[in-house]
Amino acid sequence: MKRSGLICFFFILFFSVSRAQTSEDHVPAVDQSPMDMSYYPDNYPILKVQDKTTIAPVARIIYSRPHLNGRVIVGGLLQYGKLWRMGANEATEIEFFREVSISGKKIPKGRYTLYAIVNPDKWTIILNKETDSWGAFLYDEKKDIVHADVPVQQSSEYAEALSITFEKSTTGCNLALVWDKIKISLPIAFK
Amino acid sequence: MFKDRSAFLLVIVFTILIACRQKENNATQSVIKKDTPVVKMDDVNPFAPIDISPMDMSYYPVNFPVLKMTGEATGSPVMRVIYSRPHRQGRAIFGKLLKFGEPWRLGANEATEIDFFKDVTIQNTKIHAGRYIIYCIPFPDKWTIVLNSNIFAWGLKIDSAKDIHRFEIPVTKTTSNIEYFTMIFEKANAGAELIMTWDDVMARLPIKFTENNN
Repeated sequence: MKRSGLICFFFILFFSVSRAQTSEDHVPAVDQSPMDMSYYPDNYPILKVQDKTTIAPVARIIYSRPHLNGRVIVGGLLQYGKLWRMGANEATEIEFFREVSISGKKIPKGRYTLYAIVNPDKWTIILNKETDSWGAFLYDEKKDIVHADVPVQQSSEYAEALSITFEKSTTGCNLALVWDKIKISLPIAFK
Repeated sequence: MFKDRSAFLLVIVFTILIACRQKENNATQSVIKKDTPVVKMDDVNPFAPIDISPMDMSYYPVNFPVLKMTGEATGSPVMRVIYSRPHRQGRAIFGKLLKFGEPWRLGANEATEIDFFKDVTIQNTKIHAGRYIIYCIPFPDKWTIVLNSNIFAWGLKIDSAKDIHRFEIPVTKTTSNIEYFTMIFEKANAGAELIMTWDDVMARLPIKFTENNN
C-alpha cells in the first residue's frame, strides 16, 4: 500500500518535470554558458542612466560564460599551446568605440573576435578581424590584428564561471580575465 | 526485503523534499537588489556574478555564426538583437508584472539592443543601418515597438525624448507558457520577422529587406 503510494508520487514527480521541460521546446532554451557583457567604463549603462557620465564608452566585450562544473582549466579544459575561443558558443567579441593601442599597436575602432593561446606561464591574446562567427572554428591567422603576450597571475579569489571585465589602469584599462584561480590582464592604452 | 526497499524510497523522497525546501528558502532570502526581484543563482563569483536573467543574442540569418562556421553563410549578417532573458518564476507577466500602457525594456538589465548591418524597412519606414535600443509598450491587444537612439543604456530608465521610430503590432496568445522571454528572427516574405514571446503572449515585427540582402 505504502509502496504503491510512493510509486504514484514518483510518477507525478516525473510527469511534472517532463511537462516543465517540454512546455517551451519550440523556442530556444537558455544557454548553459550564459552570455554576458562588460563595458569600460565599468557598468557604463548604469552610469549613463544615472547621468554620471556624458562621454561615450571606450570598450565592450560580449562573451559566453562556461562553468567549471568540477573540471580543471589548466592543462584540462584548456590545452597548452592550443587556440582557445575565450568563451563559449558565439565567438567572443570585443568592440572599441575609439582608437586604442595594445602592445604598442594602434587598434582602429570597431568589432573584433578575441582568442587566446594558453600556456603555463603566459597567454597570447589575439584580436582577429573575422566577427560574427562561432567559437574558434573559423580562425584564420591572416585576419589577426594583434598578438599580445601576457603573464599568468594567480587570482586571490576563485571564479566558477569565466569572468571578463575591464579595470581602470594608469594608461587606460586592463581587460581582466579570471577563471578558476587564474587571472590574465591585458593592458589597453587610450590616453 | 520489502521493508528495506520502502525505507530506501522514503529516504529518497525526503531528500527530494528537503532539496525543494532548500531551494524555496534561497528564493526568499537572496534577492538581487539592483534589478529584477527574482532568485539569485550565483553568489560565488566575486568579479562578475552570473546574471539571473542571462543575456542572449539572436542573428538574422538565423544562427548566422553557425552557418558561417559551416560555410553556409558568408559576409555580414543582416541584423542581430542582444537582450537579457527574464524568467516568469511563477509570476503573472502581462497586465501584472508589466503594466499595460507603460514602457517595458523588452528584456532585463542592459537595454535591449538591435543592430542592423544593412538598411531595412519596417512598416514602410526606412531604418538606417546602425545600432538602436528597442523597447515596447504593451497593451492587451497590441504592442508599440520603439526604436530609440539612447544606446549603451540600462534598460530601466528609458529616455523617450530619444525615440526615433514607433510601430504598432498585434499580439497573439500562445498555446503554452514561455518561461524565458525570447527574441528570435524567422524568415518571412521579403525579409524576416522579429518574434518576441513571453508567458502566453507573442508578437511579430515584420522587417523587410530592400535589396538582395536576405
